[in-house]
Amino acid sequence: MREQQLQDVLRRIPAGVATLQGEALRFGFVNEAMQLVLGSPVQEGQPVAEHPGTIPTDLLEVMQQVFQSGRPYVAKAYCIPLPGTDGEKPTPRYFDIALEPVREGDAPVSGLLLFAVDVTVQEEARQRAHQLSIETRRLDTRLRVLTETVPQITFTVDAAGKYEYVSPQWYYFTGQPPTADLNAIWPLLIHPDDRLRVLYQSDSARAAGIGWSYEYRLRRHDGQYRWLLSRALPELHAPDQAVFWHGALTEIHDQRELAEALRRGEAELRFLADSIPELIWTATAEGFIDYYNEYTAEYSGLTKDELGPTGWINLLDPSEQAGAARRWVQSIASGQPYEGLFRMRRHDGRYRWHIIRARQLADERGPRWFGACTDVDDQHRLREVLQTQYDELARTNRDLDTFVYTASHDLKQPVLNLRGLFEELRRSASFDDPQESQIVHMVDEALGQLDATLQELAATVQDQRGLSAPVETLDLRSVADEVLLGLRAQVQESDAVVELDFSAAPTLIYGRANLRSILHNLFSNALKFADPGRPPHIVVRSALTESGQPILTVQDNGLGMELPGRPAPVFQPFARQHPHIAGAGVGMYLVQRIVASRGGHLDVTSTVGQGTTFTVYWFEA
Amino acid sequence: MKAGALLLKMIHIVYMSRAVRPLSDQDLQALLDQCRRDNAARNVTGVLFYSHGNIAQLIEGEAEVLEPLFDVISRDGRHSNVVKLVDKPIAARSFEDWSMAFHPLEPSGFEALQGFLLPQHVPPPPSTLSIADAMLVDLVRLAVFGADAAPTESEPAHA
Ligand SMILES: Cc1cc2nc3c(=O)[nH]c(=O)nc-3n(C[C@H](O)[C@H](O)[C@H](O)COP(=O)(O)O)c2cc1C
Repeated sequence: MREQQLQDVLRRIPAGVATLQGEALRFGFVNEAMQLVLGSPVQEGQPVAEHPGTIPTDLLEVMQQVFQSGRPYVAKAYCIPLPGTDGEKPTPRYFDIALEPVREGDAPVSGLLLFAVDVTVQEEARQRAHQLSIETRRLDTRLRVLTETVPQITFTVDAAGKYEYVSPQWYYFTGQPPTADLNAIWPLLIHPDDRLRVLYQSDSARAAGIGWSYEYRLRRHDGQYRWLLSRALPELHAPDQAVFWHGALTEIHDQRELAEALRRGEAELRFLADSIPELIWTATAEGFIDYYNEYTAEYSGLTKDELGPTGWINLLDPSEQAGAARRWVQSIASGQPYEGLFRMRRHDGRYRWHIIRARQLADERGPRWFGACTDVDDQHRLREVLQTQYDELARTNRDLDTFVYTASHDLKQPVLNLRGLFEELRRSASFDDPQESQIVHMVDEALGQLDATLQELAATVQDQRGLSAPVETLDLRSVADEVLLGLRAQVQESDAVVELDFSAAPTLIYGRANLRSILHNLFSNALKFADPGRPPHIVVRSALTESGQPILTVQDNGLGMELPGRPAPVFQPFARQHPHIAGAGVGMYLVQRIVASRGGHLDVTSTVGQGTTFTVYWFEA
Repeated sequence: MKAGALLLKMIHIVYMSRAVRPLSDQDLQALLDQCRRDNAARNVTGVLFYSHGNIAQLIEGEAEVLEPLFDVISRDGRHSNVVKLVDKPIAARSFEDWSMAFHPLEPSGFEALQGFLLPQHVPPPPSTLSIADAMLVDLVRLAVFGADAAPTESEPAHA
């Protein structure tokens, strides 16, 4: 009964139990667990060596030795693979195997007890742990190689701020011996100007349990301070509880110097641009102004925001804005330089002439525009004054020519008369004295010379001025515009309004230089004798008389004049109605002469204090 | 507030931006439809230019409507790098309604869309704009479409 119970227990325990009997080690009792260990079914009485199953030979040999020596043996984590079925790979299994010799008292060993405890799970876990530790060591080595070969200094600090680790680069960089007391020395190597800030920043980051990133100067082995970037992240062991900070120091000295130099360079350029008393600006590739120098604000009285990206256009004279805008868009589209002469409004509302120039700079930062507006007002005004003076001189010159021409023409008749009278005198009087006849001869010669000189004079002036030029069909409007252009200074100065209406008779067949001379004198006369109390208003009209002949009227609202009986002294050379007003006084005389020479005449009506109207009858005497 | 005393301040805003990724014809059509509907409802007028990811838009309307609308538009995830060029009071509108100009990838069918223009058919800026503002519109159009799609060669109204 007890035997039976024991057998039951042995059969069911999860460890393999078997008895091996006699020198041949024949299977005796084999429990179920052992059956599984051995793989194939076991015949009682069969020697282990003949078992077709899984028992490796080295174990068989050990069994023999234990039987011989009578000394028990335990093999730990011994591998007995489970043969695979149908050609599959055998599955490794691990057992702690105990071999216990059996003997009664002092009798020789009669058999063996075989125990096998399955430790596969433990063994596999152990092997995994082993592999992990190999892998960890490998990673560890790699990490160390990496931390010691990267150019950065790497470090680990604990929550109290003590350095746990610093890579060898720190020693290379600082030149400190490996025995140096890291925590004592490090703060001393920080640039005095940065020290307090750095200590405070890392302290507060550690207190807050967060990482940091800041820059400071650290003393290098050669005594030079170099800029470093310190970045570190906390290692959290529990949420919100940082234990270590791991970080790296990167040398950023050169970048910082470069950035500093750039900043300095830019600041200097900006200072330069702001110091120049000229409007300087830059624009984006798209043509929007993104910088105006200080002088621009000073000149225009507007801030950068008030000017805006295209607001410079608003500074230009309204009549010039559209053209300037069109050309700027063209420059942006083509990349061609921009240049133009414009009037730009100053803060006080005065317009001053400026040359606006802009050029595109294309480099690796992409295209940008640089522009400048140069004040050329003084030069421009000087040029205008010179131009006016030049016009004046040219006009006087022309008038003189015309005067000479008409005078020579006018003198022809008296000379002719003189010669007639002289011939008469020579015929009627007799000169006995040979000296007298010589005088007569000399007078005759002198008269001939006078005549020739007059003719030459007239011919020269005629050629030069084109006064004798053949007539042509002239567009009154374009000749009048041309003449007014020459008088624009006087027109602008006096704020004159000139109304031209040639619709009734737009063209005239006449000598071009003659027409110009006539219009010039009539217009400048009207401007010159303006009433200082009101701006001149001049109305110029062409018309046809009842007989179909062309006429021209020039009506002004000037001072007006007293008209004596004919011949009107207005038309006499040097006759001056208004002695206080500058002018050679030959103007109207010339007009009258020219008109007359072409078969026409000049008429005048005037009211003092209201104005004067001249009427040119081109071809009606 | 007395209703009669309401003098609504009109402003216009011009900005440029970059599409986050190229907008397809369908994307543009959806945007066109939505903007037409919403802008008409809110009395917003203007024009939008699109080409190869470049965007420029002018919107005009009442300040109380436009400022928040621009906020919404500038935060729209379809584009980024929104740069406001102008934001200022105007005396009157220059655009009758809201329209959009782009090069459709599939040209057919777009002619029928209301408020859609081909870049080369965009009229020159209206003469109600100041010359400085008209030039700004010309410049953003140039920046979006490039020099090839130059405006129809008619002289601007204020030449
Ligand atoms: C380039 C661009 C332009 C836009 N223009 C307008 C516009 O003019 N009017 C408008 O209502 N929404 C416009 N939107 C759309 C708005 O950003 C927003 O998506 C729209 O108002 C829908 O808003 P909701 O969902 O709140 O109605 C534009 C979006 C983009 C990307």
